[in-house]
Amino acid sequence: MVRFTFLVLALVSATPLEAAPLTVRVVDPSGRPVRDAVVTLDPAAATRAPRPGGRFVVSQKDLQFHPFLTIVPVGADVSFPNFDPTKHHVYSFSSAKRFELKLFAKDQSRTVHFEKPGVIALGCNIHDGMSAFIFVTDTAWTARTNAQGVAAFGNAPNTAGRVTVWHPYLRAPGGSVEQNVGPGQRNLSFSVRLRPPPSMPMADY
Amino acid sequence: MRSFRSLSARLTVQFALLFAVAMLGVTAALSTLIAGSASRKVESQLQSSGAVYDRLWQSRARELQNAAQLLSRDFGFRAAVATGDQATIQSALGNAAARLHVRTAFIVTADGKVSAIGASLPRKRALELWEPLDAGQLTGVTVLDGKPRQLVAAPIMAPTLIGWVVFAADVDKREMRSLERLSAIPLNAAVLAFSNGRWGEGSGSMLPLSRDSASLAQRHVGSSAAFEMNLGRKTSIALAKPLPAFGEGESAILLLAYPKEEALADARKLQLALAGMTLLGLLIVAFATWRAAGKITQPLARLDDAAGRLAQGEHVQVKVRGTDELARLATSFNEMVGKIVEREQRITQLAFNDVLTGLPNRTMFQQQLDHLFRASEGNGGMFALHCLDLDQFKVINDTLGHPAGDALLVEAGNRVQQAARGHFVARLGGDEFVVLQTIGDDRDAIDRLAREILSTMAQPVGIDGNECVPSTSIGIAIAPQDGAGSETLLRNADLALYRAKEAGRGTYAFFEESLNERAQQRRQLESDLRLAIERNEFELHYQPLFDLEQNRICSFEALLRWNHPTRGMVSPADFVPVAEDTGLIVPIGAWVVREACGRAATWPDDIRIAVNASAVQFHRGALHETILRALADTGLEPGRLEVEITESIFLEGGEATLRLLHSLRSLGVRIALDDFGTGYSSLSYLQSFPFDKLKIDRSFIQNLLTRDGASAIVRAITELAHALNIETTAEGVEETAQLVELRSHGCSSVQGFLFAEPMTAGDVEQLFQRGGDVETAQNVA
Repeated sequence: MVRFTFLVLALVSATPLEAAPLTVRVVDPSGRPVRDAVVTLDPAAATRAPRPGGRFVVSQKDLQFHPFLTIVPVGADVSFPNFDPTKHHVYSFSSAKRFELKLFAKDQSRTVHFEKPGVIALGCNIHDGMSAFIFVTDTAWTARTNAQGVAAFGNAPNTAGRVTVWHPYLRAPGGSVEQNVGPGQRNLSFSVRLRPPPSMPMADY
Repeated sequence: MRSFRSLSARLTVQFALLFAVAMLGVTAALSTLIAGSASRKVESQLQSSGAVYDRLWQSRARELQNAAQLLSRDFGFRAAVATGDQATIQSALGNAAARLHVRTAFIVTADGKVSAIGASLPRKRALELWEPLDAGQLTGVTVLDGKPRQLVAAPIMAPTLIGWVVFAADVDKREMRSLERLSAIPLNAAVLAFSNGRWGEGSGSMLPLSRDSASLAQRHVGSSAAFEMNLGRKTSIALAKPLPAFGEGESAILLLAYPKEEALADARKLQLALAGMTLLGLLIVAFATWRAAGKITQPLARLDDAAGRLAQGEHVQVKVRGTDELARLATSFNEMVGKIVEREQRITQLAFNDVLTGLPNRTMFQQQLDHLFRASEGNGGMFALHCLDLDQFKVINDTLGHPAGDALLVEAGNRVQQAARGHFVARLGGDEFVVLQTIGDDRDAIDRLAREILSTMAQPVGIDGNECVPSTSIGIAIAPQDGAGSETLLRNADLALYRAKEAGRGTYAFFEESLNERAQQRRQLESDLRLAIERNEFELHYQPLFDLEQNRICSFEALLRWNHPTRGMVSPADFVPVAEDTGLIVPIGAWVVREACGRAATWPDDIRIAVNASAVQFHRGALHETILRALADTGLEPGRLEVEITESIFLEGGEATLRLLHSLRSLGVRIALDDFGTGYSSLSYLQSFPFDKLKIDRSFIQNLLTRDGASAIVRAITELAHALNIETTAEGVEETAQLVELRSHGCSSVQGFLFAEPMTAGDVEQLFQRGGDVETAQNVA
């Protein structure tokens, strides 16, 4: 049902357990780089928790969240300062963290603590066009693709594992796709299909 | 067409067929036009109904979508969906569905979960919807629960897409009915949806549809043209419009159908009316053609009938009406009939009339004769047949030429007709005419008529400036006594004519049975004569001629005798004419010459032999050759042969006769003129040929002592002959007184019973041996 193509470029390393850079490249079907995709590596042999906690800010300004995508470790606190003259009703129905910050006014800030990994889709109940994502990760091997659609893990363990690519608009159930990566395989490429960013107000049919 | 017996029927059928083809063509074209127009009308109505349905569809879709969007944006609902609060979801969906009169509503989440009310929606089917939903498809027709449904979806954003709220409106009978009600025509509507390789049918009054009909509709999707399809047992005009399908590989069709019968009902009425008009037109055309053909062919039929009657010999005339070609044909026909009648008369005339004189010819005479015979058998009446013959016609024809002869015949014909008015006159050919005279008891009428004819014919006639007095002989036979059949009667009349001619021409004679007997005898004689030559029945007798100067027999005349095996001696007077008529005289004469010469050759050298030569021998008998051969064969000295001829040889031949005489003379043969003094006795003969001897006819000698002048004539002849240095012989000397007288006249020689009768060759031998008769003669002299 979900159709995507992926291209595997396997480069076999001499020492599997040695840390070696893993490069994951994400493109759309026409080959254009996809930025702001979150790539996580889940090595079979070892896991490495990220440094937990930390404070992050997702502000509301000009009827939009900033930044659009924030990757935070488990246990992070994210504050949602409102720099707009209007009120916002920030909410999340995401299972990782369900919350509502009702109608807080200008220059008010609320902080939400994210203790479970997962994707939190932020919306504003007043302004449908406002959208942002917080990616709560429990692994240190989490990276976002740059403008070239490339995410690199400088010290990823050279073992077999699974690479997951998530993007807010990725067309797949759950919004993510994954690939197994073999030992010594240092380059991975994903070709994903994106749905267009939702535009508000919604078009008629 | 060929089998028609009447032109009128053929014309009628042909023209009616022609008109029928034309009218049927026009009717068919009109009918097609009507049907086409009706079809186009139905098609356009179907299309406008399709457009109505489009609007209905869109309005419904918009209504549903608005409701879906409303629901999907409800914060509480979104929260419920995001949190999987099934109770809230179900109640919200149920509430919205009830408001929208939608039985089925469900939610498909972005990660493929389904919550539904209404139709049982298997997860698998719901997941099939995920892909088009995820591709942005928010409306369209799909098949759910085996039925086509109009799906309308709205995404649920929380704030990212977490799922879709989907309303599945039934495309049911009610909806189709409302569409049907909105239409201007009583159509049937149905929605067909194709999914998972199966047709899910919608509803409508036309359902259920067969697979074939569905495929047919699918084939016509996208074409705005109407097509025909069978719905149930009826043919319908249908239009298939594509409807937006929901999923990939799915398709949906709005099928609008209009029973053809109803659609074309008005057109049918028009077509029926047209057919009726056509039929009526055909009948009128057939009737009019029949009438017109009748008018054209009526004169032809009359001509046909007239021609048929003409063929049967009727002389018909056709009424001429108008001035057109047929009238001219009728006129020509009438003229033709006239000419045919004329020609028939002409042919009859030619067949039964003589061209020259215009009198009936032999054929008609024969018919008339037969007719008279039949009539006489019935009533016992008698009739006389007069056979006429112009005397000397041949001479006139030869001397004055054929045109003159023809003129004479025409005149003769006129005269016979004039003389025999009231009787049947015909020309049988040549100068032969016949008159048929019906007689009662008055037998003298026959004589009167014959005399009348003779006298009329004897009037002088001027031909080519020459006056000519025709003379006619008539032979008469009376039927039935002289002949019971036409052949016999005609032959007997001919015999009578022969007798009339014998009797001296210019007279008439009746047939008598003796004539017939004579004719039979003559025929018998003729056949006997032919045999006589072969059987050597002829013999020569010799009559001495006594020279009065030398007082001795100087010559013998050879006389032919026929010793007939049954009749004995036959007189030359009886058979010579027959031999002359039949030409038998030629071989007989040749025999005579040979026999006489052969005999004479045995006699003393100073004895001559005289042989009679007939005119026939002279002209046809190669006499010169015969004599030459006889002289050569017998060695007789030519000077001892004397050929006796009569004047009659001069009647024909002319120069040729003289040449022959001269050639005989040049051989040395002597020529004597026999029977001198009778006949024409033209002295010009004596001038034209130097005869050696004249034989004075016995009639003069017999009358020498009894009639005055006979002696003078004999004297004149002997003196004339003497002057011309021609010998004379007196024939038929029977008395001494005659001899004395002849001697006194200076006649050279005499011949007759006084000296000796004709004797046989043996007697002549004896005579010479005895030498006595010579003395006897001398004594007599």
